[in-house]
Amino acid sequence: MTWDTIVTASPTFILGLPLLFAFLTTLVGRFSKRLGKLLFGVGLLLTTFFVGVMSYQVLTDGSWFYVFGAEQPSPENLLSFFRITFVADGFAVLATLTIAITALAAGIYSYSFMKGESGLNKFYTLFLLTLAGVNGMVLTGDLFNLFVWFEVTSVASCALVAFRNYKGKSVEAGLKYMVLSTVGGLFVLFSIGLLYGQYGVLNYALLREGITGTFIDKLALGILVVMFAMKSSSVPMQMWAPDAYGEAPGSVTPFIAITSMGSLFVLFRLLFGVFSVSISPAASGSILIILGVLSMIVGVTMALVQSDLKRLIAYLSVSQIGYMMMAVGVGLATLNTGEYESFGELAMQGGLFHMINDGVYKALLFLSAVAVVHATGIRSLNELGGVAHKMPYTTFFFLLGALSIAGIPPLSGFSSKLLIYKSVYLYSPILVIIALVVSIITLAIIGKAFFNAFLGPNQGLVKNHISKTMLLSMGILTAVLVLFTLFPNVVVTEIVSPAIEGLIGSFEGVLP
Amino acid sequence: MSWDAFFMTMPYLAVVILLSIGLYTVLFKKNLIKIIMGIAIMQNGANLFLVSLAYRDGYYAPIFTSAESTDMVMPTAHALTLTSIVIGLATTALMLSFTIMIKRHYGSINTEDVRRCKE
Amino acid sequence: MIDIGIVLEDMWSPIIFIVIVLLNLGLAYWLFKMGDPTYNKTEHSGEPFISGNRPPEDVRKIHVAGDNLFWGFTDALKRYFEPLIEGHTGRLNDYMYWVVITLAVVLVYIYLVV
Repeated sequence: MTWDTIVTASPTFILGLPLLFAFLTTLVGRFSKRLGKLLFGVGLLLTTFFVGVMSYQVLTDGSWFYVFGAEQPSPENLLSFFRITFVADGFAVLATLTIAITALAAGIYSYSFMKGESGLNKFYTLFLLTLAGVNGMVLTGDLFNLFVWFEVTSVASCALVAFRNYKGKSVEAGLKYMVLSTVGGLFVLFSIGLLYGQYGVLNYALLREGITGTFIDKLALGILVVMFAMKSSSVPMQMWAPDAYGEAPGSVTPFIAITSMGSLFVLFRLLFGVFSVSISPAASGSILIILGVLSMIVGVTMALVQSDLKRLIAYLSVSQIGYMMMAVGVGLATLNTGEYESFGELAMQGGLFHMINDGVYKALLFLSAVAVVHATGIRSLNELGGVAHKMPYTTFFFLLGALSIAGIPPLSGFSSKLLIYKSVYLYSPILVIIALVVSIITLAIIGKAFFNAFLGPNQGLVKNHISKTMLLSMGILTAVLVLFTLFPNVVVTEIVSPAIEGLIGSFEGVLP
Repeated sequence: MSWDAFFMTMPYLAVVILLSIGLYTVLFKKNLIKIIMGIAIMQNGANLFLVSLAYRDGYYAPIFTSAESTDMVMPTAHALTLTSIVIGLATTALMLSFTIMIKRHYGSINTEDVRRCKE
Repeated sequence: MIDIGIVLEDMWSPIIFIVIVLLNLGLAYWLFKMGDPTYNKTEHSGEPFISGNRPPEDVRKIHVAGDNLFWGFTDALKRYFEPLIEGHTGRLNDYMYWVVITLAVVLVYIYLVV
C-alpha cells in the first residue's frame, strides 16, 4: 500500500480510526487504565492527522469521491455510485477541520477534568464514537450512511451528556436529547424511504439528477430540513440544547455543541447538493433565514436572563447558529440568480467562515467557563465573583472568546460578521439591523458574565487547581483563534472558498 | 380500484396508522415508558414502510436461489431496514436505562415531575 | 504559494487595525508619562468608592450579583420575557410539540410557496 492509496482513502481513516480506537480503549483499558488513556490520545491525534492529510490533498489537488471496493465514479462508471461513497471536497474539509479542532481541544481537556470520575474507559469510547459519527455524517455521500452515522452520533452523544449518571439532571438532559434525536432520526428514515421509493437511489449525486420536485419530494425536504434544524438547535426547537450543554460533563460540552453544528453542515449539504436543482432554492433559503433570525433573537434574549454560566453560553451558541443559518440562507435564496454573483457568494463566505470561527471561539468560551466552574464548584452567576485574581490565564482565554463571540474588532468573530453584514444588507437591511442588535445584546451578556464571574473583589472562591493540560487545550484553541484573527482573508480564500465550490458543485457533472 | 391495487396499499395504511399512534403517544402520554413504547411503534412503522417500498410483485428475495439475477429485488431497502432495527434496539435500550436512572434519582417517571432542567 | 494579503474584501484588515491600536496605546502612554509623577499613594487608594459611604465589611456585598445586572431592561420587557421563560417548561411532551408544530408550519410553507 503506497502513500497515494492512503491519501485517497483518508476519508475512511477519518471515521475508521476513531471507531477502531473507541473499542480498543475499552478492550485495553480492562487490563491497563493508563494504556487505555494513552490510546484515546493516540486515536484523537491520528484522526486529526488524517484530517490534515485529506485537507492538504483536497486544497492542493481538488476533490474526489472515495468508493469502497470500486473505482472512482465517472460518467462511464456509474455503478460505483451504488456502493458506499464518501465525498472528500472542500466542504468536507471545512467540516472535518472544525470538528477536529474542537475534538482535540475537548479531548486534551478531558484528561485532567474527568480525573475524579469512574468508568473513564467508557467515556473515551463514547467520545471517539461521537467523533466517528459526526465525521461520518459530514463525509458521507449517500442517505443510507447519513442515517447510520446520524444515529451513531445520537446514541453516543446522548450517553456522553448523561455520563455523570449520579446526577439526576444529567440523565434527564440526556433522555430529552435522546428522545428528540430518535424521533428526528425516525423522521429522517421516513423521508429517506420517500425518496428511495420514488427514485430507487440513495446517492446524493444520483438523487440530485433524479429529484423532480413532486409532492412527495417536498414532504421529504420539509422533514429533512426540520429534523436537521432541530438537531442543530434552531429555535423553536432549541430547548434540548441548553439542558444538554448545561448538564453534560464540562469538558465535552463544546464537543456536544459541535455535533449540532455537524447537523447544520449536513443540512447545508442536502439543501445545496441534493435539492437545489429541482426545488426552488429561494423558498428553502427563506426557511433557513426565518429559522436563523428566530434563533438569533430568541437565543440571545434568553441568554440575557440566565443566571447559570453554562446555560448562558449555551443560549449564546443557539444565537450564533442563527447567524450561520441566516447567512447561508441568503446565499441559498440567491443561488442561480444574478444576485448570487453580487452578494450571495459573499454571504456564503461569511456564513461558512462564521461556522469554523464559531467552532473555535465557542469551544474556548465553554472550556474557560468550565474551568471556572471546576475551580470554584459554583455555576450560578449570583454567587461567583472575583475569580480573575486567582485564574489570570483562564480570564484571558475567556475574554478572547467572549470578545470574539460578540464580534469586537480585531478578533475573528468580527471578520466573519462583517462579511455577513455587508452581504445580507444588500438582500434585506432589516435582517442586518436585527443582526446588529443581537450582536450588541451579545456584548451586554458577555459583559455581564465576565463582570459577575471574573471581576470584583477576591472572595476566595477558587478551591481547585487548574491543571496544565487544561491550559494547554485552551492554548491550542487560542492559537487557532489568533491565526484566524490575523489572517481572515487567507482562511476565506484557502478554506472557505473551496468549501463553497464543493457545497454547490461537488455532485455536478458526475452524470452524463 | 381493483382489489389487487387495494391490497397493495394496505401496508402503507398500516404505516400511517403506526406512525400516528407512535406520534400521539410521544406527544400526549406523560409516562416515560409509554413515550419510549411510542417511539418503538414509530420505529416499526418506518421499518414497515421501507420493507413495503422494496416489495416488487413477482420478483424474488435477493438470497442464493436459482432465480435469475434480473428477477431479484434490489436489497438496499432491506439492508436499511435491518440497520434500522439494530439501531432501534440500541436507542430503545439506552432510553430505557436512562429511565431507570431517572426513577432512581427523581422517584418518578412522569414527565410532569422530570423537569428540573428548565428556563 | 499562499498569498498573505492583509485586506479582507477591500475593507477590513486586522493587522492594520492592531498596528493603529498599538500606536494609540503608545500615544496614550506618552501622554501618561507627561503627567505629574509626584502623586503618592495614600492608605485608602484602591478601595471601592460608593458615593462617599463606607464600603460594607463583607467583600461579597461589594459585588453586584448576576440577576441584578440589566434588571431594568428585563423588567421593562417583562411581557416579552415571561412567556419565553415559561415556554421552556422542561416537559418532554412540550419539546415534542414544538418539533411537530414547526414541521407542520414548514410543510405548509413549502407547499404554499414552492
